[in-house]
Amino acid sequence: MGQGVHMQELPGIGKRYDIDLGSPTQRISVVVRQGHIRDLYVFTSKGDEPTAVLELTSEQALKLGAVLTGTFFEG
Amino acid sequence: MHADLIGLGGIVLLAGLLARLGRRYGFPTVPCYMLVGILLGPGTPGPVLIEHPEDIAILASLGLVLLLFHLGVEFPAEQVLGSGKRLFIAAGVYIGLNVSAGLALGFALGWGTSEALVIAGALGISSSAIATKLLIELRRLTNAETPIILGIIVIEDMFLAFYLALLSPVLNDSGSTADFVVDLLVSFGFLVLLFALARWGARAISMVLNSREDELLAILMVGLVVLVAGIALEVGVSEAIGALMIGLVVSRTSLKERVEQLVLPLRDVFAAIFFVSFGLTIDVGDLGGVALPVAIAVCVTLLTNMTAGIVTARLFGFNQRAATNIGLTVLGRGEFSLILATLAITAGLDDRIGPFVALYVLVLAIAAPLLASQSRHFARFVPDRLLRSRWRYVQSETMSTSCMHQDQMEITETDIDVCQQCVADGGTWVQLRLCMKCGLVACCDDSPARHARAHYEDEHHPVIQSLQPGADWQYCYVDEILVREPLGRSRTTS
Repeated sequence: MGQGVHMQELPGIGKRYDIDLGSPTQRISVVVRQGHIRDLYVFTSKGDEPTAVLELTSEQALKLGAVLTGTFFEG
Repeated sequence: MHADLIGLGGIVLLAGLLARLGRRYGFPTVPCYMLVGILLGPGTPGPVLIEHPEDIAILASLGLVLLLFHLGVEFPAEQVLGSGKRLFIAAGVYIGLNVSAGLALGFALGWGTSEALVIAGALGISSSAIATKLLIELRRLTNAETPIILGIIVIEDMFLAFYLALLSPVLNDSGSTADFVVDLLVSFGFLVLLFALARWGARAISMVLNSREDELLAILMVGLVVLVAGIALEVGVSEAIGALMIGLVVSRTSLKERVEQLVLPLRDVFAAIFFVSFGLTIDVGDLGGVALPVAIAVCVTLLTNMTAGIVTARLFGFNQRAATNIGLTVLGRGEFSLILATLAITAGLDDRIGPFVALYVLVLAIAAPLLASQSRHFARFVPDRLLRSRWRYVQSETMSTSCMHQDQMEITETDIDVCQQCVADGGTWVQLRLCMKCGLVACCDDSPARHARAHYEDEHHPVIQSLQPGADWQYCYVDEILVREPLGRSRTTS
């Protein structure tokens, strides 16, 4: 994996990717489930509970990813 | 037999509707299906949709077979087998505690030895489906303890296979010891045969199954699975285990993913019929008679689960919160308990087993999600001294971003300023590393001899620290990351 991204297997569910944002309070984890649903876990506080959890279908995840990587130019 | 489509359709529809209602409040689906079966079956006063449960027996057994086949197909053997000794110890403790408590309770009830063995399994093996759904719904997929919970569940599934293999000769009880031994040997022989098939015959199976068209793959797959399950039943091993093993074989072929996707909807439908059909056999009047044993069983299961949770947390250096999360997430009982009860009913064991397991599953199905979602309140009752006091850092922190071996960082300073192995061999080195477990000083990976890594490979001491002046870092060989303060913790302590 690239720098600052760590992958961990979740047996029976899928794979979890942790993206280190270089701050003690900010981090993002993405869980790619076997059924192709992606869970986006966002942590913005020091607490244990995630600030937001989004359940994305693979299509929604694709859109989000395209925007984030800058390959989506429409509009 | 004439097909009573109205009855079947009605009961499946109602089961689905009740399950949908239940899901809205976070309850698992399996007990809902069963409940509809109980309420609309011949054993309960009121409307009866299916008069004779045996009318749908073949559909129900197809459900059982597909349930276990899917379990086998998606079994993540590599991930779990490679995940280390600690996980196996944790799972062993969980299974050992729960199954032996179930066995003790089974014998205490005095229904008989075979009955006790069935109860041990029904109480001991938790529901993978319930635990997995709970983790997703409670938004705990990134918690530190989650991979451990999932690992325990998978090892439980594996245990189930062996337990079924052990149980079927017991249930076929023919009276004499010699016959029993023969049955046991046949049972395990069949298992070994399928294991061998899994190891070497995956290509042959994939040649039989392979088709580019999903339609044909689905048909070939169902045919093969039902055939193998039927043969398993014929030789005295249960159909359940035959299906599970052929699933394991298929999981080793390149068709694994397609089969997984194709079988999933089939499994869901027929498994629901299986659970409904189990409910149909339950007479609601019998539930009262088993209320007390069920109450005791539920308390025992709660106790053993919490104990196992604490032991696991201790092993992995987790805090109270994780301990209760582990104990309460795997509390749910469902499909496996019902499978074992069905086997018991088919084998003609004590009549009370059916209602007992049904009520037990129902109670835990309601209790597990409620308790698991409130686990942080229970965490307060876990005394500190039960856990490792030094490393309570993990909390709900993602395990992967903070190395798991910080409890082995014992030595932080040394006076040695040479790589002694290099000195002995007459070699040179670039930088020095300190093994934080035993204090050995050795040369780094840029040095020709790489003694620090060699030391890790020999001794499995995970964490090293750089001895380079000014360099303030530690590295964990096992997790392959730099060790640092866990994320989410304030930097003031460092």
